[in-house]
Amino acid sequence: MAPKVNLSTSTRERCVTGIEGLDNALDGGIPRGNTILVTGSCGTGKTTLSLEFLVHGALDGETCLFVSVTESSSKLLNNIIPYDFFEESLIKKGKLIFVDMPVVYERLGLDKLEFTLEEVDVLVRAIADIVKEMDVKRLVIDSITSVCYRLRTQEKIRDFILKIGATLSSLGCTSMLVSEISPAEERYSLFGVEEAIADGIIFMGNLERRGDLLRTLQIVKMRGTQHSRTKYVLDLTSAGVLLVPLLKGGSVAGG
Amino acid sequence: MSVTTNVSDKLLTLPESSAVALQIRAEHYFDVIRGILDNFAIKKELDSIYITSTIPSQSIINALQVLEVDMSNIYFVDCISQIMMSMSSKHEHTIYVESPTMLENLMLKVEYLTKRTEERNDIVILDSINSLAIHNNTKILSEFLHLLVNNLRAKKAYTVIFSMEEYRSEDISNMLNIVVDETIIAAGE
Repeated sequence: MAPKVNLSTSTRERCVTGIEGLDNALDGGIPRGNTILVTGSCGTGKTTLSLEFLVHGALDGETCLFVSVTESSSKLLNNIIPYDFFEESLIKKGKLIFVDMPVVYERLGLDKLEFTLEEVDVLVRAIADIVKEMDVKRLVIDSITSVCYRLRTQEKIRDFILKIGATLSSLGCTSMLVSEISPAEERYSLFGVEEAIADGIIFMGNLERRGDLLRTLQIVKMRGTQHSRTKYVLDLTSAGVLLVPLLKGGSVAGG
Repeated sequence: MSVTTNVSDKLLTLPESSAVALQIRAEHYFDVIRGILDNFAIKKELDSIYITSTIPSQSIINALQVLEVDMSNIYFVDCISQIMMSMSSKHEHTIYVESPTMLENLMLKVEYLTKRTEERNDIVILDSINSLAIHNNTKILSEFLHLLVNNLRAKKAYTVIFSMEEYRSEDISNMLNIVVDETIIAAGE
């Protein structure tokens, strides 16, 4: 009998996002421990996608943490309750945890406009302590851009992302860092540093085709797995984020 | 035999996951719809997802109500009402897509409805290839059909694509021939 041929591209354990189309495009999910940049302009579905990633993790019994930098947690909660699969008990049981970053800043005495390199270390340690203490397996920081505004220099941003990525990975935590860019931006992050350091980049955008505005998603980079690089159109529904490939049909200029 | 019974009987002979092109004359339009939604889907205990790009879903719903067709397992994806600015009221079983050029969104809404109706198998009716061809070029429409039909096959759903006899063209016939298993001509005997 001929030996069995294994066509699997990676042996790394996967963190199944629970978003069917995304898991298919990622050949089974995000390699566990990866730090992913979820980037795009406003209204493209970054927060919704990240929240769904956490809700599915919590439903699977993992402890999931959402660090909200720009919006209050209570406002965010109003956005996830319409999900068919959302269970409020996940929050009560401590499987889905929301932390407001301004509160963290205040407790650490970092309530200021610019951080020093030492203060970057303090912030990374504080996040790592929460992850360790609560055995967090999935983390979202929304948005990393708002944190980076307080770091100001590329050196400090690089230091912060490298340290947070390495720390979370060593704890077996898969993380999504939400990054905001303007629609005209030709790179994947506002400061140009985040994209080079992250293990993966999921780019979300708006594509105008003959007057129709389509929400799109593209996996630009993902270490540890073979992945689709095609552009998908997505819909944000009560059944979660749904994806279908963008139709080319010879009609998309520059799309 | 009436057109309604004839269409239903022919569909009953087909295996699960079949994709069918249904050639219809305008005069048989509502007989065919009734044959699928009232006879075939009920006998096979299917949920029906009706994509309309020809006439607003409300007009079809009104006709089905007159014909006393049970609407509880019929859902609509309507991509013509918004573009015609004719959305007077929203029906609870209808999802609207802004334009028939948003073909990906049509697929996404069908995907959403198949997820919402997971307990039973589905039949997806596309009404019609001719009206979609008014708004889309042949290349993108072929790609859409290919993806839609194959996705539905994977879900064990039936696909029925309406093709209006009066507007037949070589392009449309070629497009359909690539994706369907069979062509049924809707007629009485």
